Amino acid sequence: MTGAGLRRVVAANIRRSRNHFLLASIGIVVGIATFTFFIALAQGVRAVVLGRIFPLDQLEVVPKSLDIAIGPLALGTSTLGADIIDDARVREIEAIPGVQTVYPKMRLTVPSIAMGGEALIGADLRSEIVADGLDPALVPDDVAPGYEFRDFDAEPGPATACTEDAECGKNMYCGVPAGTRLSRKNRDDDYGKPPKGTPTVCRHYVPVLASDHVVELYNGALRRAHGFPKLVPESVVGFTFELVIGSSMVGASNKDHLVRERAMLVGFSRKAIALGLTIPVGYVRRLNVDFGQPEDAQRYHSVIVMVPEKDDVAAVAKGVADLNLEVADTGAEQAALLIAIFTLIFALVSAVIVGIAAVNIMHVFFMLVYERQHEIGIMRAIGATRGDITRIIMGEAATLGMFGGLLGVGLAFAASFGFDWVSATYVPDFPYKPTTYFIFPWWLVAAALGFAVSFCIFGAFLPARRAARMEPAAVLSGH
Amino acid sequence: MIRVRGMRKAYRTGKVVNEVLRGVDFDVEAGEFVSIIGPSGSGKSTLLHAIGGLDRDYTGTIEVDGRDLHSLSDTALSDYRNRSVGFVFQSFYLLPHLSILENVALPAVFARSGERLDHAAASARARDVLEQVELGARTDSTPTMLSGGQRQRVAIARALFHRPALLLCDEPTGNLDSKMGAQIIELFRRLNADAKITVMIVTHDPRISAATTRTLRVEDGNLFDEGTHRPTAMPEPATPEAPQ
Ligand SMILES: Nc1ncnc2c1ncn2[C@@H]1O[C@H](COP(=O)(O)OP(=O)(O)O)[C@@H](O)[C@H]1O
Ligand SMILES: [Mg+2]
Repeated sequence: MTGAGLRRVVAANIRRSRNHFLLASIGIVVGIATFTFFIALAQGVRAVVLGRIFPLDQLEVVPKSLDIAIGPLALGTSTLGADIIDDARVREIEAIPGVQTVYPKMRLTVPSIAMGGEALIGADLRSEIVADGLDPALVPDDVAPGYEFRDFDAEPGPATACTEDAECGKNMYCGVPAGTRLSRKNRDDDYGKPPKGTPTVCRHYVPVLASDHVVELYNGALRRAHGFPKLVPESVVGFTFELVIGSSMVGASNKDHLVRERAMLVGFSRKAIALGLTIPVGYVRRLNVDFGQPEDAQRYHSVIVMVPEKDDVAAVAKGVADLNLEVADTGAEQAALLIAIFTLIFALVSAVIVGIAAVNIMHVFFMLVYERQHEIGIMRAIGATRGDITRIIMGEAATLGMFGGLLGVGLAFAASFGFDWVSATYVPDFPYKPTTYFIFPWWLVAAALGFAVSFCIFGAFLPARRAARMEPAAVLSGH
Repeated sequence: MIRVRGMRKAYRTGKVVNEVLRGVDFDVEAGEFVSIIGPSGSGKSTLLHAIGGLDRDYTGTIEVDGRDLHSLSDTALSDYRNRSVGFVFQSFYLLPHLSILENVALPAVFARSGERLDHAAASARARDVLEQVELGARTDSTPTMLSGGQRQRVAIARALFHRPALLLCDEPTGNLDSKMGAQIIELFRRLNADAKITVMIVTHDPRISAATTRTLRVEDGNLFDEGTHRPTAMPEPATPEAPQ
């Protein structure tokens, strides 16, 4: 039998039995739609969670916590300064195979608060802040156009004296020189006083990068709770606020002097600290030394390690452990596991539906074979081999599977559009709310069609065998 | 052409063994017009199915044109049914969802590669054989639109599609009234006389057996050769049914 002949016979049979086939395909359509829908959902959620919330291609390396090393015995073995990451250690981390780049981060160890926001959200906020210092060379692409992220005070040139902001250039203000210590009247004084005779000069704002997370959290949760307007990241850039270093809302943490700076948001970065400000490392280094010891200039608190190949992550983690450091737990692994479990459950559920559908298909085909036994007999009588009969029935099953699969995938597409639409229209914003929850990779569509066809063929297998083994003589003489 | 030797056939239903044929020997020469008669249940259909390669579960030998049917594989036997034999059954067995033309051309679908007609050639051939049975005007009808006699002629056209040398007919007029039956028998006579096709007809109608040139009788598991005879024309006028 030729392919063309088989196609004609199969097409004619399907046309004739379309009601049977329609019934038989419902299970397949529902099963495949379920499968496609939930796997696409899992893919979409995965992309948001692992791509944006917990990026898997970057690890944060931190000093090993010494919790387990207290006690007199451990004291002897723990090398002094093992909890410090200095430039030498950074070089060592960089040398681990699989590591693409490292981004050392220096945490501002001085308690600080930020003040401002009136212009932006209509109310002045005052908040204890966490700040990280980062090498500006590592985030060139994250700075908004027209802004700069660099240590403007690294080599203070000849200062331009001024009396008001307007006398200074764009993105500059008129204030006390960099690093001026302000004495405070008492521990509650957030303003402080510069030493007598301190000039006012044109200063650059301290450039600040914020994490994408901040905008998401603000827009998704905080904003609604306080009734603030929605922030569009691009429109927030250029926003300025005050930093008071050395001051804390927890009175006991206050220092005896303050340093005040004005800061300006210049962009958003994935490498920025999640809940806090990221500024060029030079500022942090100077402030940490000013309020602490000279050694603090070399003390990093973590290193962001970029590992482009997922397969290298385990080896890099091992290399990090060998350096007596550890990978900070970001929750990415748990999130990945949760998503994998979620995917697996729905894959199983749809497998069960498709499996039941296959049983249903088996019933329908047994019925069809019974109904068509004379026809099968006459086909044998005019020259069909057993194989031809099998091929005809399998061909019908495969066609049914193909159509059921296509219909199922189409249904999943339609359902995903509906779902996204409902989410966009009726569901209030929440952090990381995506425009679509679904990703339909090509392999998912291929797998869905493959499953549909294989389950139909599987269901039709026994009926096809029965048909092929039928004795044509017995059938045609009514026995 | 056909050589049957020591052929035995038994049906087993559970523990009951029904010995239908108990050693049948006969020959049929090419071009003969043979009727097989005998009581109902005597094994006439069984014999015909075995000769036609529809049933290979027998002992003894059946040779057709020198080929022992037992020695053929499923594929070779299918090819034998496809090209060398034409079957005509009492119940026509047309496929109701296919047109007359598609029904007649169906054997082309199952033809072995290399000897297969393409779609256009198969349709042309089907038209040809439908002309032969005087149904050339009904190619696009479906079987349900035809009378019994017309359906049987479609079935005959299908049997003739691959121009077989042997036509095996199992009570071909059993579902027809005697007028239509006579026309069908006349058609077989013409095919036998003009196209030199060997025809074997199973029947319990003595008028049909009288219309053939040789009669074989199956009874009590044995086959008796009643010999050759001059054919007597069927009593009904043998004018073909007017095409509708
Ligand atoms: N497939 C079969 N299974 C069991 N018994 C059968 C089968 N085919 C025929 N028989 C039995 O064999 C006997 C001969 O049947 P058959 O050849 O059809 O007779 P005939 O055609 O002469 O009427 C009958 O008794 C019938 O019941
Ligand atoms: Mg019979």
